[in-house]
Amino acid sequence: MFVCGYHFPADMGNDVSFDKVIEKVQDGIEAAGKSVTITSETREGVKLEEISVPEGSFLHTALVDYYTNTECAEKDGFKMVYYTNKYQISEISKSVDGDSTKTICKKLDDMNLYRVKVA
Amino acid sequence: MSDLRQIAFYGKGGIGKSTTSQNTLAAMCHYYAKKILIVGCDPKADSTRLILHEKAQSTIMQLASEAGTVEDLELEDVCKPGAGEFHSDNNDITEGYINCTESGGPEPGVGCAGRGVITAINFLEEEGAYDEELDFVSYDVLGDVVCRGFAMPIREGKAQEIYIVMSGEMMAMYAANNISKGILKYANTGGVRLAGLICNARMTDKEYDLAKHLAMQIGTQMIHFVPRSNHVQRAELRRMTVVEFSPASDQAMEYKELARKIIANDLKVIPEPLEMDDLENLLMEFGLEEEVDEENLGKKAEEA
Repeated sequence: MFVCGYHFPADMGNDVSFDKVIEKVQDGIEAAGKSVTITSETREGVKLEEISVPEGSFLHTALVDYYTNTECAEKDGFKMVYYTNKYQISEISKSVDGDSTKTICKKLDDMNLYRVKVA
Repeated sequence: MSDLRQIAFYGKGGIGKSTTSQNTLAAMCHYYAKKILIVGCDPKADSTRLILHEKAQSTIMQLASEAGTVEDLELEDVCKPGAGEFHSDNNDITEGYINCTESGGPEPGVGCAGRGVITAINFLEEEGAYDEELDFVSYDVLGDVVCRGFAMPIREGKAQEIYIVMSGEMMAMYAANNISKGILKYANTGGVRLAGLICNARMTDKEYDLAKHLAMQIGTQMIHFVPRSNHVQRAELRRMTVVEFSPASDQAMEYKELARKIIANDLKVIPEPLEMDDLENLLMEFGLEEEVDEENLGKKAEEA
């Protein structure tokens, strides 16, 4: 199955543990010192807000990983975040990051489109 | 010779199966150079129009009726190359191509619609349409598996992996569960497997959670959540997939990602369909339905 864009072989079943996903996301990614910004917009393309993601969280690492490894068209330095990925990243972050990303995750769970920039 | 994979897209009528399947297959061709044959198994015959840039392709059943019998047809009569970049002679954008055919069905209210599916698949096999070059054959099949004819692609092991297009709406989930029952019925005899749910989102509350948990409980995965986008409608007005219309758009990227996953997918399971009570519990758990007291069943909003 696929979580956060990664393929987990069929013998791992249809409910891969968050630990396994986190391990895969963190593998080879150096997120320290990088600033991660996400923007949200409506389906009509109206920009809503810009949010900074706290360093040291899974959310931060996962977005750096997404930005680095996802083949997705880049516009003004931003890459759109696939809806599937934003929901999956948020789900894991809520479980492991606690209060530090709670507010951001609540936003990520909505129906708006998010874009990410890593600098 | 490539290993031919036979996949099928099933789902409730009106859920966006044909749009989803054509955009996904277009992405498999455009970005990953896959060689594909689409076999439309819906009497509406709209499974190939975006690939062909046409209103609707003449179906095998229509052409057979005009010619006398299906034996009077040649493969070239019923199987058309895709338009533009999907044509096998056009390698400007991709080495891949998409060929298209539609089974068709009888006039509304007359005869068995599934008969067209059976006739079409047998004809295509006999005429060598499933050639060695193909990477994928894709069946786009109507609605619930309530009829033997529509179950044909899974019944006789034609389609090996099934993708169910659904949304977070109750009837779409009900249909997805029902289709799983059909797959389960033929899993041991025909070898068919459920390969995943595709959530063609209606953008309702907690839709991702609903789709994910339904998938998990059935034993499969929610392989991709496709957001709703006006871009798809804009492309459809031009009789195009969004992948061809605007290949760098956000929506095209979503289909590209779904295409990548389908190509790499190895999670193919015998499903474990839910009982109706479990399905309703799932809807209640994720807030689509509030739990209703016994005394309020059947009461209007202003009465309850």
